[in-house]
Amino acid sequence: MKVKMSVAVGGLTLKNPVMTASGTFGYGEEYADYLDLNSLGAVVVKGLSLHPRGGNPPPRIIETASGMLNAVGLQNVGVEEFIDEKLPYLRAIDSAIVANIFGESVDEYVEIAHILSDTEGVDAVEVNISCPNVKKGGVAFGSDPLLAAEVTRAVKGTCRLPVIVKLTPNVTDITEIARSVEAAGADALSLINTLTGMSIDVEKRTPHLENITGGLSGPAIKPVALRMVWETVNAVSIPVIGIGGIMNASDALEFLIAGARAVQIGTANFINPSAAVDVVDGIERYLAQRGIGNINDLIGTLRI
Amino acid sequence: MKQGTSAELFSQREMAHGHFLMTVRTEAPFKASLPGQFVMMRPETGDCPFLPRPFSIYSVRSRGDDIFVDILYTVVGKGTEVFSRLREGDPLHILGPLGRGFDIPPSCERIVLIAGGIGVPPLSFLAQRCREGNHPARIICYVGARNAGMLVGLDRLQEHCSAVEISTDDGSRGYHGPVTELFRRDIDHHTGGDIRIYSCGPRPMLIGLQALLKDRPVVCQASLEERMACGIGACLGCVVRTHSDGTKSNLARVCKEGPVFDISEIEFGK
Repeated sequence: MKVKMSVAVGGLTLKNPVMTASGTFGYGEEYADYLDLNSLGAVVVKGLSLHPRGGNPPPRIIETASGMLNAVGLQNVGVEEFIDEKLPYLRAIDSAIVANIFGESVDEYVEIAHILSDTEGVDAVEVNISCPNVKKGGVAFGSDPLLAAEVTRAVKGTCRLPVIVKLTPNVTDITEIARSVEAAGADALSLINTLTGMSIDVEKRTPHLENITGGLSGPAIKPVALRMVWETVNAVSIPVIGIGGIMNASDALEFLIAGARAVQIGTANFINPSAAVDVVDGIERYLAQRGIGNINDLIGTLRI
Repeated sequence: MKQGTSAELFSQREMAHGHFLMTVRTEAPFKASLPGQFVMMRPETGDCPFLPRPFSIYSVRSRGDDIFVDILYTVVGKGTEVFSRLREGDPLHILGPLGRGFDIPPSCERIVLIAGGIGVPPLSFLAQRCREGNHPARIICYVGARNAGMLVGLDRLQEHCSAVEISTDDGSRGYHGPVTELFRRDIDHHTGGDIRIYSCGPRPMLIGLQALLKDRPVVCQASLEERMACGIGACLGCVVRTHSDGTKSNLARVCKEGPVFDISEIEFGK
């Protein structure tokens, strides 16, 4: 049977619920040899700042049990070069293109959002208030419900595109931030970003990362991510996008059943460059095998 | 479309203590491998290693539709330890060939290779390809290791190079001292004229070599290694600081702009 895979995520219509996570997929073109980008629901590009940013000194990554830590430090080409050099390629793809953005002040978030609002080819903006690697701005915004709301309100005020706010798990109660951001006008939420972690070289007796701490991603974080998605779904009315350790279709289905309207695939791309496409195919197969004609009939059907 | 290609372990044996020669049987994309390029590989089963590991290509040969890729590596951690215990027929997930290989001019008078420890494989591949293509250059290889037991790949080097000069840090074989000192003894013969130098080995060796060649009119390329996650230029985990011709330094991806760089452009840092 032909399964309807389309989902609506706060004003953004996706052909299927599978997106690629910011920071793991470059600007899309890097993966063109490995999968057909048109088969994705959306590509979320590397986080963009107003000006180009070099990121943290190496070493930036270290594998951990069933995962990895990264302290890349939001290296990116800046919003202008993104529009001039990276976006033209993405315009030719019919999947949704989501620009992830971040800033060191509310004004910076507003400025980037304003530029992207009128840029053809960008279908939505994902606001990163959560990256744990940034020493200023990032951590503070995402951990404080009032600051999170302030950024959301300001971006929403200047941006015609759907605004997705990406939440950090490094807080005591993610639903508190979620409710605050919803009230401030967010069209959708995406969670979780990475969990702050650390790894030490016992021979050198130094941290493996030059930045000392980094963000943990991969299968190790899935149970935490899933729990937070489920809690947030029950706390807000706006759509929630699930992120965290999704390696295959079965993992993705857990998030959808818990109530996520869509999912993002991140670290899995490093293990298998066509992971995102495998997830789309796997979800479709699951639904077809059970006679579920529309993916929306599966979302949020967790039985408790 | 490249895709992750299917592959399996064809054979594996321990060459020197902790050093393994692994042959992987795989498919067409690897036929076009160039010296200096690498693969990202992981065993298809199990959770460890989690990320694929980068391995330099030691050699490539074909037999019918099968392509055989040789990898010479050393066990340095959990991931490589799992590789060393793999058996014939074990399925592998492989990506490649990746990265920018060595620039080899169609003709030059001499090629000098400087290999430290497990830096041998890409240089051996370079020598092999030059020989197979009847490159006119005389190929001289300087190879060093901590001790005689850690020297690897000598047989293939001796087959493909005009001369192989050996050094060991402890003097158990050949010149007693670092390979850069052995090279320094002959440096005046190798830095005037139609010569290309290629190197691969531990960071301290490359730093020493960079210092030796500073202000000398000779082109030298070095192959770097760095921890990697994606291997294809997307995650930005493997960057190194580089600069060209006195311009501001920028960050290059070892997996994409590298692993081969002009040695004078690399900023090794602390």
